[in-house]
Amino acid sequence: MIRVRNFMTTEVMTVSEDIAIIEVAKKMASKSVSGFIVVEENKPIGVINEKDIVRAIMLRKAKVKDVMTADFAVISPNYSLHKVTKMLNKTNIKRFPVVENEKLIGLITETDIIEATRDLTKYHQMMLEVILAIFGVATAFFLFYFSPYGRSLFG
Amino acid sequence: MSIAVRLIMARIKKVMSTALPILKKEAKIEEAALLLAQQEHSCIIIVDNEVPIGIVTHLDLIRSLVSKGIGLNEPVSKIMSSPVTTMAHNLKLDAALRMTDTKPYRRYPVVKDGKLIGVVDKKDVINKVSFSFKLHRSFQIIILIVFVLLEFFIFVYSKRFSA
Repeated sequence: MIRVRNFMTTEVMTVSEDIAIIEVAKKMASKSVSGFIVVEENKPIGVINEKDIVRAIMLRKAKVKDVMTADFAVISPNYSLHKVTKMLNKTNIKRFPVVENEKLIGLITETDIIEATRDLTKYHQMMLEVILAIFGVATAFFLFYFSPYGRSLFG
Repeated sequence: MSIAVRLIMARIKKVMSTALPILKKEAKIEEAALLLAQQEHSCIIIVDNEVPIGIVTHLDLIRSLVSKGIGLNEPVSKIMSSPVTTMAHNLKLDAALRMTDTKPYRRYPVVKDGKLIGVVDKKDVINKVSFSFKLHRSFQIIILIVFVLLEFFIFVYSKRFSA
C-alpha cells in the first residue's frame, strides 16, 4: 500500500503569518509555486495559495493572516493514498501539510496525489495484463492438451 | 496503451468545462484580477472574435503586478501567455494526455473550428484516463475469472474422462 510518506514533498516552502502579502507574492513569482504553508515554530497554522494572494491584492489586505485559510486538513505520513484521495475530493483545499509529532515534515498537493494515482494505475494495469497473459496461455494449453488431438499427441 | 483501452477512451469534449471566464484582449488587468479572485475560476481565456489568443493564470497576474510593475489599468493582453496551445474538441483523451505530458501547461482552451468552446484541466484528463483504465481493468478481471473457471472445469472433466 502506498503511504503519504512515499510520495510527499519534503522541501516545503513556508511563510510566517505576519509577513506582508507583497513579500509572499514576490516569493511566489520568483519560485513559480502555487502556494505556501503558513507556520509558527514549524507548526502549520494555515495555508495560502495564489488565489488568496490575488484576493489580498484586490481587497488591499496587508498580511498573510488576513487571507490565509486557517481551516485546513493536516495529514499523517502514514495515511494511505486512498485516504488522501478521498480527503481531496471532499474539500476545496488542494494542499495538505504532513505532520508528525506536531512538526511539519512534508507537503502533499493535488498534483502529487494525481500523479501517484496515475503511477499506481499503470502498475496495476501492467500486473493484471501479466496475470491475464499467464492464465490465457495456461487455458489455451489445457484446452489443447485435453482435446482429442492433444491426447493423441501427448498420449 | 492497449487497443481495448483506446476504444473505450472518451473525447476531450466529455471532460472540458464550459463555464468559461473569458475576456477580450482590450479588457483591463483589473477585470482579470476580479475574475481570478473568485473561487471557481482557475484561469481566464483571452479571445479575439471567439478565437483564443492568450491565457492568464493567477501566477501570470501576480508576476506582472509585483515583479514587472504593470498596473491594473493596463490591457490584459500585456500579461497573457500567448500564443496558447489549444485542443480540438474531438481529440481522444489518450492523445490529450500525451500532449499534456510534453507541455508545461495545466490548462488548455478547447476549440471547434478554431473557436473557443471550453477549457480543460490536465488533472481532469488524467482522472478520466484513470477511470477508463479502471473500466478496462474490470473487463480484464471478468476475463480472468472466466479463464480460471474454464481451467477448473477442464481439470474436473478430464479426470472424469480418464476415470
